[in-house]
Amino acid sequence: MDKSFYNIFKTFFKVGTLLLGGGYVILPLLQNELVDKRNWVDNEELCEYYALGQSVPGVIAVNMSAFVGYHLRGVSGAFAAMCGIVMPSFLAIVIIARMLDEIVGLKFIQSIFWGVGIGVLILIFLAVKEMWQKSIVDKFTSWVFFFVFILSACCKVSPGILIVAAIFLGIFRESKRRVDAIKIETSEDTDEDEAL
Amino acid sequence: MILAQLFFEFFHIGLLSFGGGYATLPFLYHIAEFRHWYTAKELTNMIAVSSITPGPIGINVATFAGFKTAGIIGSMVATASIVLPSFILVLIISRLLKQFKQNKYVRSIIYTLKPAGCALLAAVGVDMFVNSTNVLGMFLLLILFGLSLIEKRDPLFYLGISALAGIVAGIFGWV
Repeated sequence: MDKSFYNIFKTFFKVGTLLLGGGYVILPLLQNELVDKRNWVDNEELCEYYALGQSVPGVIAVNMSAFVGYHLRGVSGAFAAMCGIVMPSFLAIVIIARMLDEIVGLKFIQSIFWGVGIGVLILIFLAVKEMWQKSIVDKFTSWVFFFVFILSACCKVSPGILIVAAIFLGIFRESKRRVDAIKIETSEDTDEDEAL
Repeated sequence: MILAQLFFEFFHIGLLSFGGGYATLPFLYHIAEFRHWYTAKELTNMIAVSSITPGPIGINVATFAGFKTAGIIGSMVATASIVLPSFILVLIISRLLKQFKQNKYVRSIIYTLKPAGCALLAAVGVDMFVNSTNVLGMFLLLILFGLSLIEKRDPLFYLGISALAGIVAGIFGWV
């Protein structure tokens, strides 16, 4: 199958419809479609795009699709892949949003949503647990967690402000490390001078 | 005007939410509190709905919020806005791939962003927990928690059980 705009769109549209329960399953789905069936990329490249997709802001499934699309066909490929992956979820919600207002008044549906509301809490808990294991690795990251949590939960600071602050903290941390490294280098130089 | 607001809110979610999946949730929750386009309860419903419909939660809720505020045009604007930053960033990064991967600043930023994203989601979880649970809810939550300790399962497993519990509770008139 050639890498035409339409084919890329169609492939990602198909993956988009299979993307149930959040974006986490995108890697195995894309492996199946792009590596096994179409041979458009190899597995190693795909895993790299998955990792890259996580280091860019936004929705991971969308980021990853755009990276793969760009790899296949440049800017138009990235556009095709993104449209394809987003379209099924867009259509599904537009259809459901119309019905939701009508059915949500039913007593039966309300009790389901009551139960499901509790279920969502567990899903959030599990997501936090998983993120915790990957992100809280030392004292510094624990402090970041602690401060962001307090500011967000108690002071209702907007998440956007806290994320921007965290970005600056990351830049500051690296700059400081560089300055320290230079200081150590120069102090070593003076030690040598004294020894001479 | 509402379209410009939709664009602004969802563009900045797309630009600033790190960590995927539930990382958009703190932003969406914040919008529920300050913009009143949808309620926190509706957001919870949407998270459940988006678990049984295709696609990432961020896209689903953007489409839903857009639809609620400005119909089909609104849903298109909101969805396009949340993915636009991704598109731009991916194009830039694809060209500078090597520099991006090896850059120490990028690594340091991701290192600090991860715990921040985790903390934001934890704060939402605590807030939702405080606002939405009664005694019966606590009981269900404990059961689900116990199940999650035994074996980690698919999100649909927990939602299925909690939906069933909701139906049972509804039949007995507890909720």
